[in-house]
Amino acid sequence: MPAPFRNLSKQPPRAGEAEALPTSQLGTATTVTGVLDTEGELQVHGSVVGRINAERLVLCRHGHVEGDIVARDVRIGGRLNGRVFALNVTLDDTADVSGRIFHNTVTVARGARFEGRMPWRPPSYFEALDQLPETRP
Amino acid sequence: MTMFNRNDKTTDTNAAAPAPPPSVKPEQPPTPAPAAPRPQAYAQPIASGQAPAVSHISKALKITGQLESTEDIQIEGEIDGDVRAVSVKVGANAKVKGTVRGDEVQVSGQVEGKIEAKKVILTRTARMSGDVIHQDITIESGAFIDGHCRPEFGKAAPPLAKPVHAPKPSSAEAAE
Repeated sequence: MPAPFRNLSKQPPRAGEAEALPTSQLGTATTVTGVLDTEGELQVHGSVVGRINAERLVLCRHGHVEGDIVARDVRIGGRLNGRVFALNVTLDDTADVSGRIFHNTVTVARGARFEGRMPWRPPSYFEALDQLPETRP
Repeated sequence: MTMFNRNDKTTDTNAAAPAPPPSVKPEQPPTPAPAAPRPQAYAQPIASGQAPAVSHISKALKITGQLESTEDIQIEGEIDGDVRAVSVKVGANAKVKGTVRGDEVQVSGQVEGKIEAKKVILTRTARMSGDVIHQDITIESGAFIDGHCRPEFGKAAPPLAKPVHAPKPSSAEAAE
């Protein structure tokens, strides 16, 4: 398993360059079971059971993830049951999350549902994150 | 008391940030821009009216595990596991290790494993190692194939068609 934040040492992409991230898309009719590993962006409209490693993850309104997400930026508008390890996390108003969100910065929109904990961590925590910690709900 | 004072302070510092979102109207649809004052803020709306049913696996994505869809999948990345969809396109730089099932499978990249589909197209950049079970196959000149090509008319079709095209088989069962 590669280190989740292999790109973190590099400068974060600027707004203009961010568009150049290779974007993958899982459609509404798609179900993935297993590990997804990308250096770009991943948009989930469908369902994922397992682990996601990405530079940037967007869990869209009807998307559903069951498992852990490791990314630099995470935006959630769908359903998540599991943990998030990300520097920047955004919960949209349609988000329905239960689990833990390990974050450095977090934004929660009005209307978002969240059950669990949101532990803050310094950026160095995410850089050194080779193996995900065991947490019990 | 001190706790509340501290809270006030933090909100003050937040308010000093470059773009404070002052107006919070409940009926106003929340836009991502004020929500995330970050350079990496996601530009696109999170939920467009029509969420795409088609999946696109970009070249930077690697999936270890199973990938299933009742729509189309286009693969440019790497998949270690089985793929099942109505129409599967394996792009020129894509790599699939495992079984690819579908109504229509078009391979321009590398497949190691098995293909089971009604219609199989191997383009000239395809590298296929493994068996192909098909009803209708096209192999373009230049395609590499190492394995058996076996037509199968009875068995290949129904298990593929059932979950995809027959959402309610109750009428068929009643007829039996």
